[in-house]
Amino acid sequence: MKPRWLTISLIVLLVVTVILACGIGAMSIAPAQVVAILLGKAGIQLPVAYDEGMANVLLQIRLPRVVMAVLIGSGLAVAGAALQGLFRNPMADPSLIGISWGASLSAVVVIVLLSSQPILRIDSVIPRYYLLNAMTFAGACLTSMLVFRLSKIGGRSSIITLLLAGIAIGTLCRALTDLVTYVANDEELRTATFWTMGSLGGASWTSVLALLPFIFIPLALLPILGKSLNVYALGENEAAYLGINVKRLKTLVIVLTTLSVGASVAVAGIIGFVGLIVPHMLRSIAGNDHRILLPHCALLGAALLTLADVVSRTLIAPAELPIGIVTAILGTPVFIALLLKQKKQLRHLAS
Amino acid sequence: MITAQNISFRVGQKTILHKLSFALRPGTLSVVLGQNGAGKSTLLKILSGEQKPSEGLVLLGQDDLHKVSTAALAHRRAVLSQQYPTALPFAAEEIVMMGRYPHFNNKPAAIDHTIVHECLDEMQVGAFARRSYQTLSGGEQQRVQMARVLAQLRDKGVQESKLLLLDEPTASMDCLHQQLCLRKAKELAGSGYCVLVILHDLNLAAQFADFILLMKHGKIIATGTPREVLRPGPIAEAYDMEVNVLDYDEYDFPILVPAAHISKPVLIRSIK
Repeated sequence: MKPRWLTISLIVLLVVTVILACGIGAMSIAPAQVVAILLGKAGIQLPVAYDEGMANVLLQIRLPRVVMAVLIGSGLAVAGAALQGLFRNPMADPSLIGISWGASLSAVVVIVLLSSQPILRIDSVIPRYYLLNAMTFAGACLTSMLVFRLSKIGGRSSIITLLLAGIAIGTLCRALTDLVTYVANDEELRTATFWTMGSLGGASWTSVLALLPFIFIPLALLPILGKSLNVYALGENEAAYLGINVKRLKTLVIVLTTLSVGASVAVAGIIGFVGLIVPHMLRSIAGNDHRILLPHCALLGAALLTLADVVSRTLIAPAELPIGIVTAILGTPVFIALLLKQKKQLRHLAS
Repeated sequence: MITAQNISFRVGQKTILHKLSFALRPGTLSVVLGQNGAGKSTLLKILSGEQKPSEGLVLLGQDDLHKVSTAALAHRRAVLSQQYPTALPFAAEEIVMMGRYPHFNNKPAAIDHTIVHECLDEMQVGAFARRSYQTLSGGEQQRVQMARVLAQLRDKGVQESKLLLLDEPTASMDCLHQQLCLRKAKELAGSGYCVLVILHDLNLAAQFADFILLMKHGKIIATGTPREVLRPGPIAEAYDMEVNVLDYDEYDFPILVPAAHISKPVLIRSIK
């Protein structure tokens, strides 16, 4: 498919998904009404009838949640694609360099400590939710820094040591998370599991605003690195021969992906599969040129996570399914179908 | 002009290169010969700027090569490595376009597209332009990489003080494409590039080299024209193997064959 047509279809897909997602829920709002309310807010009046309550539900409850899904979906997908480029491996995703697990460890520790140690009850100082966000983000950054540091021991950092250090630290964090949940009581356990399975339930305009810069900066900067990531596929030395500052590239990709993944885990817990499957889908449609792959990932990641969130809050309404479960259950069949299709194509090309 | 002044390279206690000094003139194709492990690839890595010598200096024109920025160096020297990942998920023309990356910011200009197609055609891989790189054979992949390296240095107008480094470019090519590849390298040398090629085939070296550096154990044991270096003596010293040199009037280069014939089956010199 021509890149330009793909871009246009992805934008259309995202807009349609957002409008539909805003309308679906306990109070159903027709797509025309959604558009009318949103445009009304911007000062353009459409001849569509809606009542004030409807507008309030949309603007105060649905929209922040949808916007959050858009932000996190695009952030995770772009981070996944960039890391796959850096590791030269289509299977890489944020959990591979330990970011997600480090973040979830600190989240779970905070949850258990806060409710088991009365001295630490500082709810009066900062709301627990924000403390949790801040600590999780700090956890993500710390792990990623530790992993990056480890990979640099003995001079130049190599991508293989980075990967191995990531897996080792990730496994350690995971084991510690399990240890903490093992000693947790029922209520803590519920909160903690919800965190490790992901949820957009905490969305509000405040959390959206807090998230915005952490997603937006990587989203703006990572596509600029597209050219460098392409050349990086040839090999580290070859990239340097073509004038790429390899050290800076590695640092930038790690820092930027940590920002967006860390912030996403902090507000919504671990949401797997988006960072893996979205880049993979787009690679098979429009090739591996990171200059177009990265922006496309942002669009498709946003649309898919918005969709997954609709499923997670409507399937067993009024209860909610953790969104991490939804992305995994919906994602796996798609992923396997892609693998099979790709295998067929390769066989076709080889013959 | 590339000048190596007393360059040595050590890893830990092991000396890989030992005080090498030589000059590569623009307009010449120099060939590095030597056994496996003689230090040929390390020398190429130092000349490419990737490794710094433990001692000594490499001058690119008047500048210390290891002080030139990576971005500036990308306009002046290109390197063809021995090995590339075989499963690169790009089309052949996308790979060659990467050679143009140092020349544009985000979008390639018309000239970049023209150069890419010129280079693909020159290496006779124009027909594979849109094929996925991973479906090409080893030799075809090598030609695509060669085309990329050609594209990197192509600059209409300025051609002086450009350095082209090729590490066994012909390794997996058939005999026709070996000729094609080295003839291209020779042609670029003729247009003013400084070309350095690592080869294993003595006859290709004899045919194409203007200047030969013969290495053993990290030292240069002979330098000069093919007729000066490709003699039984220096070759036996470098490779521990006897060769006979055949000279025909129809060829203006020597032809080397292993010194084994009907009455003399032993061709490996007893190692001292």
